[in-house]
Amino acid sequence: MSKSSNAYGAGIMAKTGKEFSDEYFAEENQVFHESNEVVLVLKKSDEINVIVDEYLLGDHVDDNQTLVVEDRAGYWWLKATGKIEVDCAEVAEILGKSFSVYDFLVDVSSTIGRAYTLGDTFTITSELMGLDTKLKDLQS
Amino acid sequence: MAISTATKAATDALAANRAPVSVNAQEVHRWLQSFTWDFEKNRTKYPTKYKMANDTKEQFKLIAKEYARMESVKDERQFGSLQDVLARVDAAKRVHPKWNETMKVVSNFLEVGEYNAIAATGMLWDSATAPEQKNGYLAQTLDEIRHTNQCGYVNYYFSKNGQDPAGHNDARRTRTIGPLWKGMKRVFSDGFISGDAVECSINLQLVGEACFTNPLIVAVTEWAAANGDEITPTVFLSIETDELRHMANGYQTVVSIANDEAASKYLNTDLNNAFWTQQKYFTPVLGMAFEYGSHFKVEPWVKTWNRWVYEDWGGIWIGRLGKYGVQSPASLRDAKKDAYWAHHDLFLIAYALWPTGFFRLTLPTAEEAEWFEFNYPGWHEHYGKIYEEWRARGCEDPNSGFIPLMWFIENNHPIYIDRVSQVPFCPSLCKGASTLRVHELNGKKHSFSDDWGERMWLTEPERYECQNIFEQYEGRELSDVIAELHGVRSDGKTLIAQPHTDKDGKLWTLDDIKKLNCVFADPLKSL
Repeated sequence: MSKSSNAYGAGIMAKTGKEFSDEYFAEENQVFHESNEVVLVLKKSDEINVIVDEYLLGDHVDDNQTLVVEDRAGYWWLKATGKIEVDCAEVAEILGKSFSVYDFLVDVSSTIGRAYTLGDTFTITSELMGLDTKLKDLQS
Repeated sequence: MAISTATKAATDALAANRAPVSVNAQEVHRWLQSFTWDFEKNRTKYPTKYKMANDTKEQFKLIAKEYARMESVKDERQFGSLQDVLARVDAAKRVHPKWNETMKVVSNFLEVGEYNAIAATGMLWDSATAPEQKNGYLAQTLDEIRHTNQCGYVNYYFSKNGQDPAGHNDARRTRTIGPLWKGMKRVFSDGFISGDAVECSINLQLVGEACFTNPLIVAVTEWAAANGDEITPTVFLSIETDELRHMANGYQTVVSIANDEAASKYLNTDLNNAFWTQQKYFTPVLGMAFEYGSHFKVEPWVKTWNRWVYEDWGGIWIGRLGKYGVQSPASLRDAKKDAYWAHHDLFLIAYALWPTGFFRLTLPTAEEAEWFEFNYPGWHEHYGKIYEEWRARGCEDPNSGFIPLMWFIENNHPIYIDRVSQVPFCPSLCKGASTLRVHELNGKKHSFSDDWGERMWLTEPERYECQNIFEQYEGRELSDVIAELHGVRSDGKTLIAQPHTDKDGKLWTLDDIKKLNCVFADPLKSL
């Protein structure tokens, strides 16, 4: 199991019984704490499995070293600090077929963070798009 | 064959000036913006106390053609799997019997939420004035229609291909008997479509979808897979591929009102009310479905809740909005207590009232009891001993003449229904955040289980007039109610609901229930 703080079973999740409940009910944990992480849930499919293996954990593994990918039966659970980006033009090269951001969205099951598309790129970011940062339109 | 002059002219013109073979969908989206539709002065049938900005964006740059193509690919993959490989490998019969029962409830109740979300997003389309925001809401309306069909299909698929179809095949008429139904209508119907349009968006999109669909539609697939169910992941993960756009719609609703003065006055109260409304039902019901409706456990429900609700939704969605004045809901402390205990409280009552269900329930086995005690220290002393007593009295066997509801009456543990959430609770037994408080209005008594619902009722009592099951059936004998509401199998006498899933166990009939002479009584009348 990954030792990253972004791992599925990290932090309090690694605790059990009374040790878990003590931290869970601790006074400081009775309010939300701002988080700079993002979570992405990808439904397993032929294309998504390639994107996980050969793109995110392959050619782009150094893009964001906080990225954790875990196998949760029918889906891949991804968590990273900051952002996760997928360039679908590059994915199309790997897959050897046409693959747009809309093809990618077919198998994106959930996002926690601000997700958006621009051109061939899918991004999920901790930035507050539309508030702190303007959402861009495609430029001609 | 000769061609017309017009066709020839068109063909010649195209030969001279080739039309583009394809246009990038995002270029089309940009081009659509040049239409500069102005909805700013449009009147809406669904006004809001907030002012929604006129320049709000839609994050995925959807156009109709790509939207339709995406959804058709999703459907092809989903139905292809269900009708081809999953049918061939007899997947529905490989599901653990306990989980088969859980999906009777989960898929059918989610269907209701999806159905009401059609109306909710149609309403939001009418209220918004930004063209892109309207575009996002409109796509969501179409998504919700798809989801309604998908949920119905899951129950249809299980009833056609699986085991014990009773309940899967007629949930739409039998689901109304028991106490879980009206609470579900409160969160999935009233919460989504009644009141201020933006408040409905906060209920549906910012809380219901961005927060609770992750355990309800994503995490559930892991529990399903662990219990041999490949059908639910195939459908629910496909449903969830639309939910990310809905979450974005909810976020953009907040963006659209962020600069409105009304936001600073109302938003935190509306968010707290929506959070409490949604969690009050989802937290115990999902926890109960996962932990008591499965044989193979994935992780304690409180951990699932802590991850998806507290850490990720709380930290990544709500926490990040702190600098815009959005605060942690004041009800969070009680919600956390509920996430630890309320599903255990609810199962105690659900099992006691098992004849009113449209599914079979089972008591925890000895192995499961160990798991509960390990993960929830104190569980055995409080709950486990009660189950041992019920089992010793033969609660699973119709010859025993005992249903656990009788134990509640014998031991003076009255069950009340919270007026606002419609969730049942037993103040003398619960370890969650519920305590009894009673108000009287116009000669009628109302029970409440918590500060937050009580406060909502005091503000708008006219909004929460739904009869609870004790009022609705008062004076009626239990087997009569079950028969009237079609809670029996095709033989006309055996109950759909049963207190076990043992294929060799005896099944309870209407006659077995009639012998008990259980008559509904409103506990508030005796106060």
